[in-house]
Amino acid sequence: MATDFWASSHYKRWILDRATLKQARVDDLQYVDYPEQLDFLNIYFASLIFKLGKRLQLRQRVIATATVFFRRFYVKNSYCETDPFIVISACCYVAAKAEESPVHIKNVVAESRQVYSQEEYGIKHFPTDNSKLAEMEFYLVDDLECDLVVFHPYRTLMSLCGREAVATIAEAGELGIGINDGPRYWGTGEGKLELEEGPLQMAWFIINDTYRSELCLLYPPHLIAIAAIYLTLILNVTTRATLQNQAQAQSAPAPSTRRSSRTSSGTQKKAPQDIVGFMAGLNVSMSLVATIAQEIIGLYTLWERYKEDAAADSGRSAFGRSASSASAGTKRSAPSRDPSVFMGSEELSAGGTPAQPDDVVTPQYLTQLLARMREARLADLAHPASGRPVAVNKMLERTQAAG
Amino acid sequence: MRDFDREEVSRPHTPTRGDRDELYSIVSQVGEGTFGKVYKARNTTNGLNVALKRIRMEAERDGFPVTAMREIKLLQSLRHDNVVRLYEMMVSNGSVYMVFEYMDHDLTGILSQSGFSFTDAHLKSLCRQMLAGLAYLHHKGVIHRDIKGSNILLNNRGELKLADFGLARFYQKRRRSDYTNRVITLWYRPPELLFGTTVYGPEVDMWSAGCIMLELFTKRPVFQGNDEIHQLEFIFKILGTPTAERWPSVAELPWYELVKPKEEIPNHFREMFRKWLSPAALDLADQLLAFDPTRRATAVQALEAAYFKEESPPEAMPTGLANLEGEWHELETKRERAKKRRRDGAQ
Repeated sequence: MATDFWASSHYKRWILDRATLKQARVDDLQYVDYPEQLDFLNIYFASLIFKLGKRLQLRQRVIATATVFFRRFYVKNSYCETDPFIVISACCYVAAKAEESPVHIKNVVAESRQVYSQEEYGIKHFPTDNSKLAEMEFYLVDDLECDLVVFHPYRTLMSLCGREAVATIAEAGELGIGINDGPRYWGTGEGKLELEEGPLQMAWFIINDTYRSELCLLYPPHLIAIAAIYLTLILNVTTRATLQNQAQAQSAPAPSTRRSSRTSSGTQKKAPQDIVGFMAGLNVSMSLVATIAQEIIGLYTLWERYKEDAAADSGRSAFGRSASSASAGTKRSAPSRDPSVFMGSEELSAGGTPAQPDDVVTPQYLTQLLARMREARLADLAHPASGRPVAVNKMLERTQAAG
Repeated sequence: MRDFDREEVSRPHTPTRGDRDELYSIVSQVGEGTFGKVYKARNTTNGLNVALKRIRMEAERDGFPVTAMREIKLLQSLRHDNVVRLYEMMVSNGSVYMVFEYMDHDLTGILSQSGFSFTDAHLKSLCRQMLAGLAYLHHKGVIHRDIKGSNILLNNRGELKLADFGLARFYQKRRRSDYTNRVITLWYRPPELLFGTTVYGPEVDMWSAGCIMLELFTKRPVFQGNDEIHQLEFIFKILGTPTAERWPSVAELPWYELVKPKEEIPNHFREMFRKWLSPAALDLADQLLAFDPTRRATAVQALEAAYFKEESPPEAMPTGLANLEGEWHELETKRERAKKRRRDGAQ
């Protein structure tokens, strides 16, 4: 019915591997003090996009699309060679148009100036001129290869866990319904786990949070949605208990071999609130889902150290609460993300005073970091090893090439 | 052309900018779209023709036109034999181009060629192809909103494809929403839009399809009004005025009081078109041109009509187009006409 995800540009061209993402950051990596800063920048940019989107009164789906555009653009570009702030504005502007809720270019410029110049960001150089944003939009659409249809996990979440009424409301809010990721484009097409509003909300917020990482470039949206549901069930103890009680009440005649799910999915349908059966019946790779869930937890661990005015509607707070109540000791135990693993001591001292890896990171600090990165990059380009000066402004270069 | 349909060829994998600049050389202009010129161009590597639609950027103060964005998104998610294929997007010299499969003619251009005529079997095929395209669009949740002769393309193999999605949009199948009523070229605009409705669905396309069907037989647009009011009068003159029985909800439409018919006119449709259309064709056209949008035939219903399923002759692809000299689009037809006028004036 709706556009086929498997035939889409999203699936064919924009699900990338880690090597590609690493390659995309090679230039930036030279100019940060330690690699983890790049992960903080991911959070920082996403929260800026979210703030700008909110001010422009964009729906969550549009904000998510803007974030995906931003991530895709920086698969082909470097932070240190571009102005990420005008890119953010252009992403919001294009996403609003692409998702059929256009905003005026003047508003985007005005709101951008407002948001960026707030004290916690302190970015003062945003242009007043509409044409700069329109020009950036052109480069953006070019680098996006005009692939404007983006799929999101929200649809999967609602079709799996929403009650009928909720699903319809969510749908009614979506303009351009035909291009949404349809009811179900993967797995068996069956199975449903009805969630109360609270846990449903939580899964929704977890999905929102995944946009602060590069997950949207790595995994298909329906797997991200399932990982969010999985985390919700783990973290939300009451929901789990409720669902399990229901399952026990219903599953009296059901076979006890629930865990060998794939073969017995026929019987599972009778006990729809059986969590394990539900998960298994989805017929997706559970190890992938677990990987994604692990990455989300890694993101939250990192995010703990990113201090901004508390984002109230994030799944993170719930995570923090239940995680600390469950086992406070494991909170910082994502060993692969330990910065000291990546970091030479030289680099740390070269970076100057602040950036101790366990320090709290603020938006202000990241704004300054970006400025430093850019400056250092410009200096390097002006004085390359070969001694010959080279063109420094990629944007200008392109404008000239474009005539 | 068939080879070109394969995915790898139609969408070269991340070609470099340099490659793309020389990939196509423009042959001639063949049309004027909603937001830019359309060119015929030749792929310099494989010699195949494409249509390049240039999206005007510099004229747009608001950057990338939202209509263009909509058209790109729509076309990227559509794939059907009777819908024009968007091969790829291309950026060159500060412009964005949409690269389409090339179609030799459009319906307006071909129908104006007095030397050429379709047989009844050909017309049936064209009719069915148009309806199949519409059935696909509506199934995908897309309303075209600008069905007219110059947006219906033909190639020399006799294939018909719907084009120009600059006004098209997705609609909600379960809910009717508010849209603008300033859509569809006047001559093909259904009466409910002329009466000011903003709540409508795919049935607006079906009226236009009815107009096209008649036009296929008569060779010229049937309802040629000068403005909205005149357009309604024109329709009434042929189909009669809407009665409460034919269209119960007509009096509830926003502009009904302003533009309602002054006097009652009977329906002359069948007597006027009997000499062109067979009885089953008349029935189908009649169902497509139903005043009441809720009673108008859907594309799927129309495809089941006796005209296609029972009445002879069976349809045949209009392959004779290959023998036609020249390529006929509305633009070329207009040029030809202007040339003729100048000649006549000189004499």
